[in-house]
Amino acid sequence: MLLKWSFGLLVLVMAACTSAPPEPKASPSQLEGMWSDPPATAEGTFCFFACTEVGLDRLNALLDDPANDARPFPELQAEAGKHQRENYIRPRLTDAALETYPLDPADDPGFLRCEPWGLARQMFAPHQVEIRQRADDRIELRYGEWDALRTVHMDGRPRPAAQAPTLFGHSVGRWEGETLVVETAGVTADITGWDFQHSDGLRVIERFTRSADGDTLLLTATIEDPWSLREPLVFKKIWRWAPDQQITPYEDCEPAEEFSRGKGQ
Amino acid sequence: MTCSRAWAFVIPMLVLAVARAGSHHAFSPVYDEKRLITVEGVVTQFRFVNPHAMMFMDVTDKTKKVVKWTVEFSGRLNLMEGGWTPDTIKPGERVTVSGNPTHTGSQRLFFRRLTRPDGSELLPTGAQRLSAIEEERLRRASQRKQQK
Repeated sequence: MLLKWSFGLLVLVMAACTSAPPEPKASPSQLEGMWSDPPATAEGTFCFFACTEVGLDRLNALLDDPANDARPFPELQAEAGKHQRENYIRPRLTDAALETYPLDPADDPGFLRCEPWGLARQMFAPHQVEIRQRADDRIELRYGEWDALRTVHMDGRPRPAAQAPTLFGHSVGRWEGETLVVETAGVTADITGWDFQHSDGLRVIERFTRSADGDTLLLTATIEDPWSLREPLVFKKIWRWAPDQQITPYEDCEPAEEFSRGKGQ
Repeated sequence: MTCSRAWAFVIPMLVLAVARAGSHHAFSPVYDEKRLITVEGVVTQFRFVNPHAMMFMDVTDKTKKVVKWTVEFSGRLNLMEGGWTPDTIKPGERVTVSGNPTHTGSQRLFFRRLTRPDGSELLPTGAQRLSAIEEERLRRASQRKQQK
């Protein structure tokens, strides 16, 4: 009897040891930690806030043209940025959004009154983003700019029907392989980081992926808004792994006292 | 043109190009990107804060009158990337500062370069980034020539 039980136990142990190891479960640990300004490369600098494939293609074409070797990088960056603005963003804006595009920087409520940014700018904010799993059902994103905190619900909970739009809206996340996908809606009408206004019909899908070498975090963000956009806009952003950095207080914003309109863009 | 003088012209272009890429804290409504001015005086306070660090200084004008000037910098988050600390600039220091003046001509400028009496300089943190990019461009150009 003892021999029979021992043999059964041995079979079970062997089965456990020879079966394929479990698939590594995607987890925030792949993204968790402190990220900061992008690498000091041409692409990283062009995507300091965010960029588009159209803009990057233009930048690389300019950099690969020997005729531009003597031109300062900021000049090429500005040219690629203008190309991106005029050939990618502007054609996708609705007539309603074009009425005020590009917004005068002097009309920015963040500049005028120190009002914190909404999601459509905060998601592309420069400097740090710290990603932390706070519980099984949520991940937090803390941004250095404005020391702003976002919650991403990982349990799929729908946005409460009666919940009014908020600055960052309601974000629900899921893992697709090693990519964190975050869908957000319910964002207060505001301005984007691209100098156009959006409505509270804004919908954003963010895809966060860590590079194979672990050194960078790539965001691809798709933005939809029936009021301001004829078709979705897709932006990229890059952060650099920066475990030694800290987010410092953001409490000394002073409303603008002297400024002139019509000086932007 | 010396290296530091070249940076003084190029770095504002980088700052502006980044600012245009997405609205950050408005620079253009306050400061004139096309002009640089220089003032000399004694630091009375350096505030290493977000969103923008600030320095206050006493500047003696041509009539021997002491005038209060304000110098605005990038924010603490940005300056820390370049190794700055709250003690990088100390009260009592005599400094010469170059920067973009305001459109209104007030006693205020946006920092581009700070020079101390011993000749040492502080430059915006963008200088390190630009330097790395120029090295990258040289490598690209070299690879391009090798491929031909």
